[in-house]
Formats: sequence, structure tokens, C-alpha cells
Amino acid sequence: MKRFSQLAIPYIVWGILLIVLPMVLIAFYSVTEDGNGIISFTFTLKHYIRFFTDPDFLLVLWRSIKIAVKTTLICIALGYPIAYFIAFSSDRIRNILILAITLPTWINTLVRTYAWIGLLSEGGVIQQVLNIFGLGHEELLYTEGAVLIGMVYNFIPFMILQINTSLSKMDKSLMEASNDLGANGLQTFLRVILPLSLPGVVSGISLVFLPAVSSFSIPKLLGGGQFFLIGNVIENQFITVGEWNFGSSISLIMAMIMMATMYVVRRLEDYSRGGDKERE
Amino acid sequence: MKKLMILCSAALIAAALSGCGSKNEGEYAGQELHIYNWGEYTGENLISDFEDLTGCNVVMDNFDSNEQMYIRVANGDSYDILVPSDYMIERLLQEDLLQPLDKEKLDCLEKLDPDVLGLPYDPENEYSIPYFWGTVGIVYDKNKVDLADLEAEGFGIFADEKYKGDIYLYDSERDSFMMALKYLGYSMNTNDENELNEAYEWLVNIVETMEPEIVTDEIIDNMAQGRKALGLIYSGDATYVMSENPDMGFYLPEAGTNIWSDAMVIPKNAENPELAHEFINFVSDYDGALDNSVTVGYTSPNLEVMEYLSGEDGDFYGIDAYIPRAGNENDEVFTYDPDTRVIISDLWSRVKIAASNAD
Repeated sequence: MKRFSQLAIPYIVWGILLIVLPMVLIAFYSVTEDGNGIISFTFTLKHYIRFFTDPDFLLVLWRSIKIAVKTTLICIALGYPIAYFIAFSSDRIRNILILAITLPTWINTLVRTYAWIGLLSEGGVIQQVLNIFGLGHEELLYTEGAVLIGMVYNFIPFMILQINTSLSKMDKSLMEASNDLGANGLQTFLRVILPLSLPGVVSGISLVFLPAVSSFSIPKLLGGGQFFLIGNVIENQFITVGEWNFGSSISLIMAMIMMATMYVVRRLEDYSRGGDKERE
Repeated sequence: MKKLMILCSAALIAAALSGCGSKNEGEYAGQELHIYNWGEYTGENLISDFEDLTGCNVVMDNFDSNEQMYIRVANGDSYDILVPSDYMIERLLQEDLLQPLDKEKLDCLEKLDPDVLGLPYDPENEYSIPYFWGTVGIVYDKNKVDLADLEAEGFGIFADEKYKGDIYLYDSERDSFMMALKYLGYSMNTNDENELNEAYEWLVNIVETMEPEIVTDEIIDNMAQGRKALGLIYSGDATYVMSENPDMGFYLPEAGTNIWSDAMVIPKNAENPELAHEFINFVSDYDGALDNSVTVGYTSPNLEVMEYLSGEDGDFYGIDAYIPRAGNENDEVFTYDPDTRVIISDLWSRVKIAASNAD
């Protein structure tokens, strides 16, 4: 065993270089003055203070969290029934459906988001359909709705696949038992299927919420330059403003928020698993 | 100047593929030329013609902002040719990243328009040869916008409630602040913080009251299809819009605008400066310059090409956006000042934050 574990060394080195080191650098940048070299630097917390004392930035952060929460809720509402349907289909149909869900993710997110620009733009397909019903006057592109559509579209496969996995792994005889004991369909769903699928929902939440809250390409493309989320603020600090230190501190604040979310999500997961044990 | 990112990648793949097919003949057979250029910024056959002529392989990467290009070049990526804008050339020069051109190897200078030579960022053209140039102005729908309003208000028309919800702003801090500073009667190269703040307030007022859409290259197709009444646009893009849609006009405020140019430079760490000089000559020569300008729609620095294309037989006959304005003393060229750049970038990101928090 010991010999084999040494085989992991290259991967550990690789991991340190590509994952740990950049994180350390970001943390380092976030607490130092601008324009410092690696050798001479001064520590400062001013970037954090600047972020938290500026109502504009906090408002952007709040809007980013709100839109990520909305995205997550829509993904659950739409994704759960789809996952349910997939999980209880015959093997052949299930494989086809899962392929259909994963297939779009083989194409780059940017390209798929560009496709939505065409669909949502004025005179685009969606507006033409709405026109038939006399509803075509609303502007679709460059609105919050467009950003939501883009995010849900991009992230929902993760939700569906997670829920589907936990539903498929479920022991089907539990449902039969529930029926035998006199529960009707709704009761079986609420008291047996739903609790057993919660771990899937919870990990789906983390896979959807985290990328949604930090997304910058989707709001940029579908929301336009006047739709700024926290991811755009960070991108902007690095690319155009060139204030890497401030950008790093916002990145780190986001990382903290994500870690806090992960923690809550894990607790939820433990809780939903704990519930299973009680019933057992 | 920026072009859609997808098309960049498409162009990249195309460039890579066409590279594979080139024949191994010519003086530079087997050599490689690495170009870093804007997306959708080269003539249809320019690269393949150059490869046929020299036998070399061209590898082209695309960027969609000067800043994006700067980060890679400053971090040591090696290219033989870059095509940055005026102020960025000044920055690259200040940071000693460019090598002087060998005038012995260049045969193109006398073919170029004197108006685009000897600009402040490189007064003797020791480091740069112009690639495209133009102005920044207002593209407008002649049916929706009264020319009298434009003449009376200049860039101030973007704050005119009459056109609320019917305007595009361009998502670039330099161009937006240029517009604001020019409207307020200041130099666009000012470093006076009060003037910059005044420009910032003016822009915030617009995004809070006028419901503009802040876009980049989407403006080109959208204006060509007449979706909004007004937009801030590069003259080269306006040329395309106007050739697609005759209802569109291009207006340059009397208060002045930005005369910009993108030029070819050779970085210090270029691996093949010899071939880079060849390329500069090729692009500046009539055929290369014509191919570039016809495909892209931006104004060619080659005088003969510009005169031909704007003349009666040319593709851009009657389109005034194609010929950059000369002789207005309020027009300026961007200069590079690191401190002001940071202030403007920061203020512009705050304008966008104000815009997103407004709705």
C-alpha cells in the first residue's frame, strides 16, 4: 500500500501548483497594497473595508445572491419532475433521456448562451411566437428574465442528474411496501420518495447555486453591460481597471460566501440523511 | 474594434487550418509568424495570400480588448506582430516592450495617409505602422432622430428625454468618458479629477434616467436592423451599418471626438521580426489593404485604397463614416496616463453598477 501511495505524489505537486498556489496568491493580493512586489509589500485591509463600506457594491452582491437563489429554486421546480420522470422510465428510455440532458453540456457554455441572444433578441423566434398572441412588445433580451433563462438553461442539467441519481439508487421495494401498508400515491411521494431524494436535491443546490452566484459571462451576454453582477465586478477589476488587489479581495469574499453556503448545504444534507436513519 | 468572441475562435480555427494547408515554397518556407490581432479584423484572403507569397505559416490569436492583449504580452507571451490601439502603443512603449522598426525593410510609409502618420503616440513612426483608423461618433436612424437635435446637442443627445429607452451606449470606459468630457467641453485626455467627476455624474445621470442599453459589438447588427434610434459607435462599424441600412446616418459632434488608430507593432520578444516586417509591408500595400478594408469596413491608412473605396466605384461610396474627419481642432488622439486610466476604469465600472442598480 505504501508503495502505491507514493504514486500520488505527482498529483499532489500538480494540485499544489494549480489549485493551492493561485488561491494563496489571491489571498496574498487581497491583503496587500496595490503595486507591491513579492519582496516588498505592506499589509492592508483597505480593500475589504472599501467593499463593505460601499452601498453600491453591497447592492450588487445582494442582487447576485438573489438571482442565484431564484435560479436554484427554478432549477429545483423544473428539474425535480424531469428527474422523477427519468428515474421511473424504462432503462432504455432513461438512457436516451439522460443522454438528451447531458448532450448540450458537451457544447461550450458561451456558444450556447450566444444562441439565446439570437432567440431572445428583437425579431427573434421567441418574440415572433409571442407576436402571434399579441404579446410581442416586451423587450426580452437585456433583462433580468433573460439572465434567469440563461442561468437556468445552463445549470439545470446538474440539478436533474443529481436528483435522478438519488432517485434511481432508491430501493423500489420501499414504494411497494408503502403501498402495501395503505399509503396512497401522494403519501408515498411525500413520506418515502421525497425524503430519500433530498440528498440529491441538496447536492444539486450546491452545483447550481455556486456557479450561478459567481457567473459573469451569462449576465454579460444576456443582461448587457447595464446588468452587473458580482462576477462582472471581479472580472472588471482584473481586466479593465487593473486593480488586482481589490479584485482579489472581492474574489475571496465570494469564496467565503460560497464556503458558508457549502457548510449550510452540508448540514442540510446531514439533516436529510439523519431523517432517513430515524425512520430505519 | 471588438468583435464577437465566437467569431474570434472560429477565425482562430480557420487560421490554424489554413496554416496546415500552406505550401512549403517561398523565401520563408517553414517559418512561423505569430500575430495577435483583434477578432474579425483581417481581410478574407489576407492571411492565405501572405502564406502563399512567403511560404510561411501564420498563427493568429485574437483579442477583444487592448487590456486583454496587454496582460498576455506583459506576461511574456511571444508574438511577432501586435495590433494595439494608439494609447496602448504608448503604454507598451513606456514599458519598453516594443522594438523599433527597421525602416530599411519597410517600403510602405509613402503609401499611407499623412493624416494617420506621426501621431502623438509615435511621432516619427519609429515603432508602429497604422493598420486601421477612424473616429467615434453617433449612429442614428434618420427617420427617428432630427438632425437639428444632433447639431444642437452633440453628444448631449444621449441625455435628451425625447430618446429615452431608444439608445445604445458603448461598453468601453475610454469611449464613454471621451463622449462625456467632449460634451462638457473638456479635453478627453484630462487628468483633472473635478472634470472626470463631472463626466462621471453626467454618465450616471444618463444610465439612471435614459434606460440605455450598454453593449459592445451587438450595436452593429442591432443598428443595421434599426432597433434603436441612437448609439455611440466606431466609424468603421458605422460604415458597415450604413452600407446595410440606408436609413442610418453618422454624426460627429462639433465639440470634437476621438481620432483613433490601431497600428502594427513588433514586440521586443518577437521571434521572427524579419517576417514581421514583410507582413507590415504586405498589409500596407494596395492589395492587402484593399482586402482588409473591404472585408472589415474600417478605414484603410493606405491613401489610394481609401480614395478608391470612397470614390464612385468603391464599396463605400457616399458613406461619410468611412472618411475620418480632418481639420476639427477639437478632435484629439488618446494618450496614455496610467493614473487617469485607473480612475476612469473605476468610475466606468461604477457607472455600470449604477445602471444595474437603477432598475
